Amino acid sequence: MIRMITKRLLTSILTLIILVSVVFAMTHATPGGPAFSILGQKATPAAVKALNARLGLNVPWWDQYFIWWWHLLQGRLGFSYLLNRPVTELIAEYLGNTLLLYIGAIMLSVLLSIGIGLVQGVTWGRWPARLIGAFQLAAYALPTFFVGTMFILYFGVEWQILPTGGITDLRIAHPGALDYARHLILPILTVGLLGVSGLSRYFGASVHEELNKDYVRTALAKGLTFRAVLFGHVLRNALRPLVTILGLSFPGIFVGSVLVESVFNYPGLGYLLWRSALSQDYPVVSGIVLLLGVITVVGNLLADLVNGLLDPREIYD
Amino acid sequence: MSAVLTLDQFSVALKRGRGKNVPILDDINLTVAAGEMTALVGESGSGKTIASLGVIRLLPRGASTSGRVMLGAQDLTTLSDAAMRKVRGRDIGMVFQNPLSALNPSTRVGAQITEVYRLHTGESDRAARARALELFGEVGIPNPADRLDDYPHQFSGGMRQRVMIAMALACSPKLLIADEPTTGLDLLVARQIMALLTRLRRERQMGVLFITHDLSVVEEHADQVHVLYAGRSVEWGSARSFFEQPRHPYSQALLGAVPRLGQARLVSIPGNLPDPETRPPGCRFAPRCAYREDACDEAYPAADSMGGTMFACRRGRTITPEALGVSEQAVAHAHNTGAVVLQADAVGVDYARSATSFVRGLFGGRDRLRALSDISFSLRRGQCLGVVGESGSGKSTLGRAVLQMIPYHGRVILDGHDFSVMRGRERRAARRGVQVVFQDPRESLNPRMRIGEIVAEPLKLAGMVGARARRDAAAALLDRVGLNERMMSQFPIAVSGGQAQRIAIARALATKPAIIVLDEPTSSLDVSTQAMLLNLLKDLAESDGLSYILISHDIAAVSYMADTIAVLRGGQLMEMGDAASVLGAPQSSYTKELVAASPHFRAIHQAGAVSGAVAVADKTGF
Repeated sequence: MIRMITKRLLTSILTLIILVSVVFAMTHATPGGPAFSILGQKATPAAVKALNARLGLNVPWWDQYFIWWWHLLQGRLGFSYLLNRPVTELIAEYLGNTLLLYIGAIMLSVLLSIGIGLVQGVTWGRWPARLIGAFQLAAYALPTFFVGTMFILYFGVEWQILPTGGITDLRIAHPGALDYARHLILPILTVGLLGVSGLSRYFGASVHEELNKDYVRTALAKGLTFRAVLFGHVLRNALRPLVTILGLSFPGIFVGSVLVESVFNYPGLGYLLWRSALSQDYPVVSGIVLLLGVITVVGNLLADLVNGLLDPREIYD
Repeated sequence: MSAVLTLDQFSVALKRGRGKNVPILDDINLTVAAGEMTALVGESGSGKTIASLGVIRLLPRGASTSGRVMLGAQDLTTLSDAAMRKVRGRDIGMVFQNPLSALNPSTRVGAQITEVYRLHTGESDRAARARALELFGEVGIPNPADRLDDYPHQFSGGMRQRVMIAMALACSPKLLIADEPTTGLDLLVARQIMALLTRLRRERQMGVLFITHDLSVVEEHADQVHVLYAGRSVEWGSARSFFEQPRHPYSQALLGAVPRLGQARLVSIPGNLPDPETRPPGCRFAPRCAYREDACDEAYPAADSMGGTMFACRRGRTITPEALGVSEQAVAHAHNTGAVVLQADAVGVDYARSATSFVRGLFGGRDRLRALSDISFSLRRGQCLGVVGESGSGKSTLGRAVLQMIPYHGRVILDGHDFSVMRGRERRAARRGVQVVFQDPRESLNPRMRIGEIVAEPLKLAGMVGARARRDAAAALLDRVGLNERMMSQFPIAVSGGQAQRIAIARALATKPAIIVLDEPTSSLDVSTQAMLLNLLKDLAESDGLSYILISHDIAAVSYMADTIAVLRGGQLMEMGDAASVLGAPQSSYTKELVAASPHFRAIHQAGAVSGAVAVADKTGF
């Protein structure tokens, strides 16, 4: 077990190095540069040169690359060119929002998927499962931003029961946690529902498959009720593929959240990344990508660990 | 003896397609007495598993039953669902085939046992655990206290089945239903499980309904035998009378299909089992029966009785196994006169065991595991080398080394060509001389390829030009294994297990090999299908001078086919010699155990001991 984790962590470091290197090369290869974003398109070459020297952009890009890693080893992620604040501070500020959105959305989609998938798996081949399948496919086809926009139009504009604008500025004091939570509802719903169609379909198929296995017949032959077999035996085994998929879908959920964050004007990491990429704010982009890499790697490791708990055979393989 | 279970005119119909009810099982009358074992015997498609699931009312959705299922004085068919759940696990214990999939893989075995005990007794977890511990001891699991918290995959096949039995016994049921509990287990392990079931039912006065396709398993253990064919009882009665003198032609054919040493030919039943939807109105076995009369087709024959068994056959009183050609006359095995086609010199195989620690793995420190140690043999034209051993004995490894599928040391020489010195094109050409047929015919045929393509593929690889020519050659190959060339356009899913294995043989024959390695070729087949296949292989050996390496844990099949037998255990050669001496006068204690475990060898053992003695006498110069 410990060996498996150690091995995985060593591989993860390699993954992160590759990820950051590719992003670094891509952002630095683009034309223009942060100086133009800061000074405007009409900046004089002299002003640009001066700014580049101040930002440390006058050395070759490979030097910048190694300097970035050197700073990282010291725990520094640099300063944002545009916002002139430490990247760590920026990330810390936006990460909280993103995590709230992320975790809320994942919990919502997992719970819904388990519920829907159980019904679908148990009634497989009959009309409830078919109906669910039709809805899943329809939901799968809907783009996230469209769903988000519809939510805004109905909940926010038409019925006016929920705030639409999101939390624009964290420095403005919020009147209590309840209001904060109200702002989270629509973004979480949008991101969460995005995953449900795929996850629930996957889980439904998995439940159906497990129900046809021999151990289910054994459990029934012991005199257990179908419900006891479903929740006591089948659920745990059927969760394994769901957990794997979930571990792999973390980056996908993030992509979804970028769109949703812009629709809801929600100050999350996706929003920050999008803005920083446009203005070529290298340190922020690299910092966020590194963090995303860590989240993805940790997410997958967690998924494997949970699977190890669900199925003892995994550990011994 | 009081009856624990009585089936009275029990019938089951399953739903197939839209609103169509297909009768699977018709009018079964069967009794299991307390402390006794009734064997319900039938090949695949006979309805035997449906019968067991019908008893505990776990039939597939849409099934309908009629007749009565009496557990003691209680008719199970009239119980409410809730009352039926109380019967399952408490009054009736179930043991299924393949315990690895029948146990929940992610739950500790102890918890799986305590679950059923607590459900029916309402006892505390502590009491249930004590009970599980006691049961583990009773079914013979060593160090029960240490094993209770293990998972199913941590047990060996035989131990896993013991776990399953312990679970079934948890509430001391009156009836145990065991559905093929020994299928897939090694011979010696299967024997231990049978002995365990026999001890348990005697000690506990528990009735056992034993479901199997293999008559030879039950011969020593069953009190009653009940043979099913196509959903109907064909013969039933006391096991002793049955094995002494089976009356129904199907029973006789089933017994005659079990391979024995020195038997000229196995009894094979022509034709196939009728589909449940197209079963003949009269005797269901009539279309395949050598004794059919016109009257047999009119109505299902009434039960008749003679000499201790009942049988549903109009001619059961008069026909005897001799008339069917089940003769015990031994034929001399081919003499060692053919040229040597294959020679193995000190063939050994090591596997690299996965590194025991990550750091050691980094530095290349790997354990070597000896899978096979330095085996030498030679195989003559037209002969069969039987390789016998339990799982993990290295018998399949030997086959793979001969096939050049894995690295080995030592030399394999085919027709004078030493594989170890050949490279490239020459080596590839030589490899065509050794072909293989695997255990599971369905798994070993690509499901996305048509049967014609499967058989023709080796021809293409061997450089045969022209689709037309390959097609004709494939048709000819199918014809040789007794299949119709019309099958060429079908996919493997459309054929039966026996047919699939014939296709695999046709494919193996395509490159005109000198040797075919048969790796458990019949273990997944019914006895009568196995008989047809073994007969086919024998014919091919005779007509083409083909040689075989037959790898099997089934000593009966090996004894029928092999001229020479090698016994392996843990990668070591225990002994090797001509079939009659190895089986007749086994030298190593392991071979003795194997031979003793096969009930059919009791008689042969004695007869063989004589010829073995002769063989020994020859060597000593008498």
